[in-house]
Amino acid sequence: MESIFTFLFKYRPLLFEEGEVVFATPWPVALLLVGAAAVAIAAVVTYAPESGKASPTDRAILATLRLVALGVLAFVLLQPTLVLTSVVAQRNFVGVLLDDSRSMQLPGTDDGARRDFVTGTFGPEGSDLVTALGERFSLRYFRFSSDASRVGDADGMTWNGTRTDLAGALDRAREELSSVPLSGLVVVSDGADNGGTPLAEALVPLQAASIPVFTVGLGEEAMEPDVQLGRVELPRSVLQGSSLAVDVVVTHRGYRGRTVEVVVEDGNRRVAQESVVLRGDDEPTIVPVRITLEEPGARRLRFHVPRIEDEAVAQNNTRDLLVDVRERREKILYFEGEPRHEVGFIRRAIQEDENLQLVVLQQTAEGKFARFNVDDGDELASGFPRTREELFQYRGLIIGSVQASFFTQDQLAMIGEFASRRGGGVLFLGGRLSFAEGGYARTAIEDALPVLLEDAAPDARAAFSSIAVRPTNAGLSHPIAQILPSAPEAEAAPTPRRDSIPLPATLDDAWNTLPPLSTMNRIVRAKPGATTLLTGRVVDALAPTTQIDEERIVLAHHRYGRGTVIAFPVQDVWTWQMHAAIAIDDQRHELLWQQLLRWLVDGVPDAVEVEPDRERVEPGEALRVRATVLDSAYLEVNSAEVRATVTSPTGETRTENLTWTVDEDGVYELLLAPDILGTWQVDVGASSGELALGAGTTFFEVGPSDDEYFDAGRRTALLERLADETGGRFYTPETVSDLPEDLRFTGAGVTLTEERDLWDAPFFFLLLVGLVGAEWGFRRVRGMV
Amino acid sequence: MRTLTSTGLAIAVVLLAGSVDTGGAAPPDSGVVPRVGGTSFDGDAPSLTAAELAVRSPVVSFRVPSSLAMASTSEPEWIARMADGAPSIGEGGTRVPLRSAAVEDVADARVARFSQEGALTPYEFYFTRAAYSGSRGGWGRGGGRGQAWATDFPKADQQFMVVLRRLTSLDAYPDENAVLLNDPAIRRFPFLYALEVGYMNLRPEEISGLRDYLDAGGFLMVDDFWGVAEWRNFEAHMAVVFPGRPIQDIPLDHPLFDMVYDIDEVLQVPARGRGIYGIPTWERPDATVPTVSGIFDDRGRLMVVVNWNTDLGDAWEWAEAPDYPVEYSTYAFQVGVNTIVYGMSH
Repeated sequence: MESIFTFLFKYRPLLFEEGEVVFATPWPVALLLVGAAAVAIAAVVTYAPESGKASPTDRAILATLRLVALGVLAFVLLQPTLVLTSVVAQRNFVGVLLDDSRSMQLPGTDDGARRDFVTGTFGPEGSDLVTALGERFSLRYFRFSSDASRVGDADGMTWNGTRTDLAGALDRAREELSSVPLSGLVVVSDGADNGGTPLAEALVPLQAASIPVFTVGLGEEAMEPDVQLGRVELPRSVLQGSSLAVDVVVTHRGYRGRTVEVVVEDGNRRVAQESVVLRGDDEPTIVPVRITLEEPGARRLRFHVPRIEDEAVAQNNTRDLLVDVRERREKILYFEGEPRHEVGFIRRAIQEDENLQLVVLQQTAEGKFARFNVDDGDELASGFPRTREELFQYRGLIIGSVQASFFTQDQLAMIGEFASRRGGGVLFLGGRLSFAEGGYARTAIEDALPVLLEDAAPDARAAFSSIAVRPTNAGLSHPIAQILPSAPEAEAAPTPRRDSIPLPATLDDAWNTLPPLSTMNRIVRAKPGATTLLTGRVVDALAPTTQIDEERIVLAHHRYGRGTVIAFPVQDVWTWQMHAAIAIDDQRHELLWQQLLRWLVDGVPDAVEVEPDRERVEPGEALRVRATVLDSAYLEVNSAEVRATVTSPTGETRTENLTWTVDEDGVYELLLAPDILGTWQVDVGASSGELALGAGTTFFEVGPSDDEYFDAGRRTALLERLADETGGRFYTPETVSDLPEDLRFTGAGVTLTEERDLWDAPFFFLLLVGLVGAEWGFRRVRGMV
Repeated sequence: MRTLTSTGLAIAVVLLAGSVDTGGAAPPDSGVVPRVGGTSFDGDAPSLTAAELAVRSPVVSFRVPSSLAMASTSEPEWIARMADGAPSIGEGGTRVPLRSAAVEDVADARVARFSQEGALTPYEFYFTRAAYSGSRGGWGRGGGRGQAWATDFPKADQQFMVVLRRLTSLDAYPDENAVLLNDPAIRRFPFLYALEVGYMNLRPEEISGLRDYLDAGGFLMVDDFWGVAEWRNFEAHMAVVFPGRPIQDIPLDHPLFDMVYDIDEVLQVPARGRGIYGIPTWERPDATVPTVSGIFDDRGRLMVVVNWNTDLGDAWEWAEAPDYPVEYSTYAFQVGVNTIVYGMSH
């Protein structure tokens, strides 16, 4: 289409976009218009009288054709001219940014690699393109990947950059060429930007300086055939022995219906393996993988799909993630307002979990409490904590069947703040004195709950109903729903079996064969933003008014401030341990509570929390370690002494001070530039005078990343956007020959005005001939000639 | 002692105020079956024959708390057979029908409301009495027409529940609840009370039912059996339920003794008519020292609490009687409360 346009109008569309069309006639326009009008009138008058066989319609058509032809002739006589602002030869500069990242080693559009185009075009031997550019511009070359630097030509490229930071490269080139007349920047890349800097940030100064960016896209938009391991999300830290349900996203092109394995390795040990049948091209397949991390410390987990022999890119089959497996005992306070079987069965379920310490405070009679698993005689000696310092020492809080009126207003507020400010996990269990039946409507707790409270039943016992519990879709992939023992656990189960009741073989079986639970709290609505993981269908009820089959919420959660609040409005989960239909060796009850309580304290912050701004950096690349420092009431401290011990992979340590960032309360930073490959550890301790506030540890990795190989197809949309928003143009290797001429008319740099005639464009001649020919043809058809 | 006194006063107020519907509970030896709540108890079935009793007579492997020095001998054949699930063998190799119609009749009538599969159990706690096959009638239940498991039933259970509900915040079902050991629904009630276990004569399905119950997480409180012979019978049964898992002493510093009330000595709680007017508290010469012992699982969980040479049930049953010493009834309620709260929280 562009070539037809160029043939008809002599010049490419871009020139019309950049230039302006004016009339260059030396005569006054008014005079010309009067003359044209006179000619038009004469033409009409010539056709108006009735003569021969012509009907009035024929005469009107003929007059119109003649008038249009005369109009075209008049337009041409006005001498239309294209006025362009073109650069002055050899007075302007062009920055050429060449992608030096690993992805340039991948296949291009033809047989060669993407880098072949760069070396062939911008290499020392030169090319027609470079020659054409060089005739008008002084060229300045930059190579870029995670950073950008000047090079003489493409000969200095390494093709080994582990990231592509387009925004950073544009900034660097703009700044370096800011003192010279710059006609534009040319970016030669596949567009696989993964630098993390928003491109919009780099575009603003380019737009302000009217510097157009011309982009040359390399490679195919889609790599085929290829399997890619997409997103894998892991928490930065987990409790030792925790079972993680990880969703691994696998995408592909060209392998529809093929079965592949997703393998997870911890060091040299395979910790999980799942098979998956691939769906249609580009359709993500989510593979739920369950892993249990037993080894404490920084663990590098490798998720990968074994290479398929004809794959285009093998490097995007693997993802390495660093996770901090914490060997600690998480302290959870369980407050129960009355003696309940649930207490004993929860304690029994987590008895062998060495990473959970369930401290139980149970009211046995009015004003009388029993304490279990306390550290010393002073702990909870006066009942439920009355100060935030006392309550916030726990990382999780379970509130059982206890009336709201038991608590003071401040204690109710503290429970809410335990989640919102302290960042802890709060679990509300069902019972005759829980939720609305416990009087929690219109209290601080109602705000914190992830569910909406219905009107309280006049008698909780009358609201008693049995519900069959099932996980929702969201729940099925959640850690708490993974109640089927993993293969190693199943193998470790006592043998021989102690009864003949079959154990569930699949996760669906595991849930479908559980007996109903009971509830006295009718919860049917979750709050906006809350996630329901378990639901229940009413299968039996004491009150005839209770609707059988009604859907109830059994487990829902939401973020509340910094923490999590969970509602679990059932009262006898112990049934899943004791019921006659449950085998003695069945571990579902134990697994449910272990997973639930581990999830409750998962990610709960300490008083001192440390994290790097990135999990992986290149050797020598700057990295920021941030520490958030809070006091025992979880209020930010800005005057703390915060020191870090930085341990390199070789075991060398050095001590550094972190400084308060000033713009964020309680946040301290340390800038590092680690250069040794491997896993680094940063231990941070904070104190205020003589008072130790806390300590925290984090890890990060120094080494090359394989990010370049993911989504490695040409990002045409990004490159086009980059060009469009700066006034440049997008090219492929096939169209890049237009670049030198396009650069001439950007209007940037040292320019002059250039006028180009349009009156002799073939379009006008052809139009004139066509109109005259049409008139003649019409006459012929109508028998007038 | 202060808590003992204050609890005793509370109990006296509760019981003497007549707030307990005893359902016209019969005196211990009247032979009248008490009726409560529209359901009935009837110990009308024949007790086991002398031949059946003889099966239990041989010297069996037993163990008593260290306070008594006892010997142990080899395990008799019947224990091995019970462990294998075979019925007991009587004299001359005849199969002895150990099925007790009384047990099942009573249980059917009294337990149906709660124990059937799918039935609702809206209370947090049911004081559940183990209904088991036994070799003699319960004390005072119609001259031997009743069953051992039903001794003091249901008045003791009802009175205990009244006091329990007053003294604790426990949401307890106010009436009695008896369940067969081999009824699968027993697993709906994690706390179990059994007494007169010196006369228990469990069938294989009851043995396996009790074993599964305790393995699954159930808790058993044993009471009211006296002397070495009864101990032997109970211990022999437990040896079949849990081979190799001994009955061990529970020291006074165990949490069981200070769960709700601080108990610093083990009293011998007498049956009604004993412990007053110079009558000793024990029922037989070899039962002078009360003990509290238990069976623990592999993870150290106390599954069974054994109160031997004492009669807590009688104290619950007759706490309101003017001639029953308040000291013992108070102590019995405290032990009961402690045991229940311990069982529910461990």
